[in-house]
Order: sequence, then C-alpha cells, then structure tokens
Amino acid sequence: MSNTREELIRTEKLQKIFVVGGGFARSKLVAVDDVNFHVNKDEIFTLAGESGCGKSTVSKMLLGFLEPNEGKVYYKGEDISNLKKWKDKKGFMKEVQSIFQNPFETFNPLRKVDSYLYDTQKHYGMNHKGRVVEESLEAVGLDISEVKGRYPNEFSGGQLQRISIARALITRPSLLVADEPVSMVDASLRMSIVNLFKELRDKRHVSVLYITHDLATAYYVSDRIGIMFRGNIIEMGDVEDVLMNPKHPYTQMLKESIPEADPKKKWTERISIKELETEEYMRKGCKFAGRCPYVMEKCKDNMPEEISVENRMVRCWLYE
Amino acid sequence: MNILKTENLKSYYIFETPTEKKEVKAVNDVSIDIEEDKIYGIAGESGCGKSTFLKTICGLAEPPLRIVGGTIYYLVNGKYVDITKLKEEEYRKLRWEYISYIPQGSMSALNPIIRVKESFKDFVTAHKKIKDEQKDFEEPLRKHLNALGLPMRVLKSYPHQLSGGMRQRVTIALATILNPRIILADEPTTALDVVAQRAVIQLLKDIQTLQKNTIILVTHDMAVHANISNRMLIMYAGIFVEEADTEELFENPLHPYTQFLIGSLPKMGDKSYKISAPGSPPSLANLPQGCPFHPRCPYVMDICKKERPALVEMKPSHKVSCFLNSKERMQNE
Ligand SMILES: Nc1ncnc2c1ncn2[C@@H]1O[C@H](COP(=O)(O)OP(=O)(O)OP(=O)(O)O)[C@@H](O)[C@H]1O
Ligand SMILES: Nc1ncnc2c1ncn2[C@@H]1O[C@H](COP(=O)(O)OP(=O)(O)OP(=O)(O)O)[C@@H](O)[C@H]1O
Ligand code: SF4
Ligand code: SF4
Ligand SMILES: [Mg+2]
Ligand SMILES: [Mg+2]
Repeated sequence: MSNTREELIRTEKLQKIFVVGGGFARSKLVAVDDVNFHVNKDEIFTLAGESGCGKSTVSKMLLGFLEPNEGKVYYKGEDISNLKKWKDKKGFMKEVQSIFQNPFETFNPLRKVDSYLYDTQKHYGMNHKGRVVEESLEAVGLDISEVKGRYPNEFSGGQLQRISIARALITRPSLLVADEPVSMVDASLRMSIVNLFKELRDKRHVSVLYITHDLATAYYVSDRIGIMFRGNIIEMGDVEDVLMNPKHPYTQMLKESIPEADPKKKWTERISIKELETEEYMRKGCKFAGRCPYVMEKCKDNMPEEISVENRMVRCWLYE
Repeated sequence: MNILKTENLKSYYIFETPTEKKEVKAVNDVSIDIEEDKIYGIAGESGCGKSTFLKTICGLAEPPLRIVGGTIYYLVNGKYVDITKLKEEEYRKLRWEYISYIPQGSMSALNPIIRVKESFKDFVTAHKKIKDEQKDFEEPLRKHLNALGLPMRVLKSYPHQLSGGMRQRVTIALATILNPRIILADEPTTALDVVAQRAVIQLLKDIQTLQKNTIILVTHDMAVHANISNRMLIMYAGIFVEEADTEELFENPLHPYTQFLIGSLPKMGDKSYKISAPGSPPSLANLPQGCPFHPRCPYVMDICKKERPALVEMKPSHKVSCFLNSKERMQNE
C-alpha cells in the first residue's frame, strides 16, 4: 500500500468538554482533548482504549451528532460544521453511516424490519426501482426472504446486527462508523462480522472506523490503530507496529492485559486499579502519570506532545 | 455436592393474541447439575437463551416469559428445594441471601438519583437486620470496595459520575456483599476494556475463593472463561450442546459448533484468515427441526434433520449433544 492514499475523514484538535454534577459540585470534564487522526479510503482504522476514554464521544462528533468545543472534522476536505443546508447535511449522512453496539436499539420493536429498511432507502432517495435493500442484505449474507414481514424480536442478536449493517449499507456509504459492533455477539459471529468489514473494504471500497475493546479482533482486521487514554490519542500507527511493539507505557500495559483464550495460560500476576477516572482526567500533565512505572518529574505538570518515533505517533516524554 | 439442579426445564416467551400464539423457546428442555464451590461458565451464540436461563433459575421469570415445565432445585441447608413450588414469600427470603443476580447491562442497575452509598444501605438493610451499623455495614463494605480498587469516595458519588467500568464493579460489590451461595453474573465484563475486565475477573475469583460459593458466569468472551471457569457449558438455540471441564473443552471440543467457537478465536500476531461458522443462528421463534445446528453444520447427516440429539456423556464428565458423537447412534448402526 502506498503512502499517498486518499484521506476520507480527518479530525483536527478535536475537543469536547462536559459539565458534570450540579450546584456546587459542578465541574468540567475534558472528555476529548486535542484528538488528531484521519481515516483513509479503503482502510479500517481502529480506536481502542479504556472504558470511558472518549471513544464514543469522538465518534459522535465525527457523525455530527455532537458539536465539538474546539477543533474541526473534515470530510473529503470539507469542514462538516459548514454543512448548513439540509441537502448538504443529508449528503454527508448518506456517505457516513453508523452501526451501534446494541442492534435491538437500532430497530423499533413494533415495526417490521423490512419496512424499516425500505423506508431508509426512501428517506435517502435511493433509487427505489433498484434492488438496493436486497443487495445490502446480500452483502451481509442474508436473503430478503429471511427478513420479509418479520419483527425484530424474531431475530437473534447476531442476525439483527447483520441487518443493522445492511441498513447502513443501503445508502452506499464511503465510511462506516461502528461503535462496539461486536461486543454483544459470540466469538464465531464476531469473526464473521469483522470478516464482513474486510470484505466491504476490499470489494466495495467502504472504509470503517472500528471502535472496540477487543484488541484481538482489532489486530486481525485493522490497517491502522489509535489508542486512547483519558481523552487523548496516546499512540497511533500501523496496527502491526502499535500492537506488536507498543511504545507507550499504557499501550504496553493494555497489551499485557489481553487475556488469552487458553486455559493453560491464565493470568498469574495481580493488578491494582487505584485512581478514579475523574482524577486522571483532571491531571495537568500526562494523564497516565499516576500509574506509569516510568513516571518522571516532567510528566506531572507537562502534557506530552505528539512525538514521532519508529513509524508511529506517541504521546510520552520517554521518547522526546 | 451439587448446589443447583434443573430437570427438563422449559421456559418460553409466549405471546398470545386472539388470532395467533407465538412461542420463543429460549430454554428448551434442559437438565443441568452445578457443583458447589466452582466457577461454572456458560457461552454460546447471541440470543441462544443464556440470559433467559439465568433469569429462570433465579426465579425472575415474568410474563411474557413463563416456565412451561421442569424443576429447579437449590441445595438449601443440605436439602433440595424445588423453587418452582415455593410461595412468593418463601422464595423472596432465599433470593439475594442465597442467590444473587448481576444482570446483563447492569451498569444501569444503580438508582441514578441516589448516591452509591444509599443504594448499598437500602440493599443491605432490606435483607439483613443491622445491629451495629458502623461495624456490620461500613467495615465489610470498605474491605469489599478496596478489593475492587474502588476508594470509599465512590460511595459519595452518583452513578453518572462513575465510568462504566466503575459502575460495573460497584454493582458486583453490591451483589456479593451479603455473601450469597450462588452468584449469577451475566456478561459482567462485556462493556469493559481489558484492564478493567481483568480487575473484575480478579474480583470475582477472589470473592469465590473467599466465600466458597458458586459463580455461574455467562460471557461471550472465551478468553475470560479460559481464565476463570472451572467447568463450561456451551448453549446453542435454547439447548445445551456441550459440557466439560474448561481445559478439556478447549483441548478437545466435540460439538461442531464448539469447534467453530474455539477455532475462530483470533490471536495477537496471527493475521491468517479465520473462518466462522457459515450462515447465522436460527431465530428461536422459528427453530429448524432436528438438531438446531444442522443448517450450518458441515457434517450434517440425514438423521440430524429429523431428530434432536440428546446430551450424552461421551467421556467421564464430558457431555455432548450431536449425532456424530452419540453412543446411541453407534449402537444403532
Ligand atoms: N453527556 C455527557 N455528560 C457528561 N459526561 C459525559 C457525557 N457523555 C460522556 N461523558 C463522559 O465522558 C467520558 C468519555 O465518555 P465516552 O462515552 O466517550 O467513553 P467511551 O470511550 O466510549 O467509553 P466506553 O468504552 O465505556 O463506551 C466519560 O467519563 C463519560 O462519563
Ligand atoms: N422479552 C422478550 N420477548 C420476546 N422474546 C425475547 C424476549 N427477551 C428475549 N427474547 C428472545 O429470546 C431469545 C433468548 O434471549 P436471551 O436474552 O436469553 O439470549 P442470550 O443468549 O442472553 O443473548 P445475548 O448473548 O445476546 O445476551 C432471543 O432470541 C430473544 O430474541
Ligand atoms: S509521559 Fe511520563 S508518565 Fe506519561 S507515559 Fe510517558 S513516562 Fe509515563
Ligand atoms: S447432530 Fe448433526 S447437524 Fe447437529 S451438530 Fe451433530 S452432526 Fe451437526
Ligand atoms: Mg463508548
Ligand atoms: Mg444475554
């Protein structure tokens, strides 16, 4: 693959601040801070990291569901906050589709699944004479006859997740934003869904932003990966480099904690989690300083910059 | 001793309208024995009925879910009690002190408008008579939270101020503070990152070692099972397809579905293409005849399309329901 690949979406200095608590306990939480990454055409890019590190918040800003406090999202070079006209917005939404964690929430339990799919087709003005719905279902290995006239509760979670991917494909998107799309499904189905992402990338030129906790599937499907910690991307590069040879102390810890599906290789060492999430968010310097085995004086008050080392970006003063 | 037994348990979601009756056979004629002082793992396809099974065995079947047949025994003070025959009042006494349930998605189980500490207090006082509050309540609570890596300050927080991982740990703390004999944990680590997941697993294991109770752990994550489950059950479409000790199951899976489940696990450093079971699981409202795995099974035979294989002990303590393995079939041939 060449380096001069076409960029699909890019974020620049993305920041999101939430106000939490009420009254005197009101405080600000910088949930996402200075996040810079891009997804290329024909690429699967993974965002991974601790629960609550800001992954979903990033994806909501990308989709335009949430307004950033600072920073920009560019889709094919255009600042998405400039899409004011409904027609332009709709055009963007057509190209960037999302898939959520819980397929049961995607579908209205009282409506037949196929009518929902046909409505999506109509809503986006897709050619209704074509076989758009049928083809989208075929892309996920389902036939319209299996779906017709049936309500969501007549499907298993796995089937429904496939159907929600099919729904997202109806508009012929260039980018799928998939926030934890496989956390509800078993190992075998998980592989069939990530294999589907690979196929969509290779055969239909769909890029995927894959958000997950599952580093084993992330390694298996993605081209590049960004690891987030407490609102920042702390390491980013080719998945091979980042996961097989992690540089940031947090990525190293993450990798060591991946459980192996082998009863002969159980964890033996104990871990301890001491700090409260909000305390780490509030840190002035490196947010990992409270847990980092290599912490230095400098780390406590100075937020590490984006440093380039061995073919990836790392935010850690060790590599200055 | 077996602490929990079910015999031919059937529990269905039943929808009746004047014109039609629909049944979702989520737990379909299952018999199980669960040993005391063990971690018993359950895995299986999404929607195969794992959560329904847990709800049923802890007495939480509410319409549209109904127990259609079979029995559920708890071992209470050395005697088996059939809980399907208990009166509401008698059952309520057993619940929580004897068996506690951490539901799937339990991060939302905490009351959002009260501080975490009040949830604990309400919960404990509702179940136990507290004599000396400071000693009986605060101290075990402090120890308990410490083991979870949760500082006492979480008690002063409202649930929304905690992260998903923290809420999950708080819920587990809540469910185990009364030292129940059986803990049912439904996907307790699903929404968590690997580090928090590891902390939760460590916690569950510590609790089990300390309290010598039985944990029934449902998760999709085979790596979690490999780490802590002593014995495992694989479910598919409402039935039990295989049961064995964890090491045996990983080393020597006998059911074709289990083989797919274990064979498709991705490994770090290995990008080779992993095949998954072809097709998708059936809907439980519309089960195929015979073996429910037959439309996807590479070894399907004629008999599989007609008859449902029984769960048969193939080797000591390794049971499987598949005609490929079944002794019955070998004898018939
Ligand atoms: N609407 C909101 N108001 C206040 N705080 C919020 C809001 N949404 C998210 N947060 C906080 O922002 C942080 C990041 O949340 P986010 O949902 O983006 O995390 P995540 O990485 O997706 O986590 P997970 O892996 O658990 O899904 C968390 O601490 C969360 O509590
Ligand atoms: N309230 C309900 N009404 C009707 N059907 C239901 C209901 N709840 C669950 N079901 C159906 O019962 C079946 C079993 O569901 P259950 O939640 O027990 O599966 P599960 O194995 O826990 O799945 P998952 O791994 O996705 O959590 C599913 O096919 C589901 O569609
Ligand atoms: S910047 Fe300092 S504290 Fe942060 S990860 Fe690097 S060495 Fe550790
Ligand atoms: S009974 Fe038949 S269809 Fe079912 S798993 Fe065994 S071989 Fe396959
Ligand atoms: Mg999220
Ligand atoms: Mg479930």
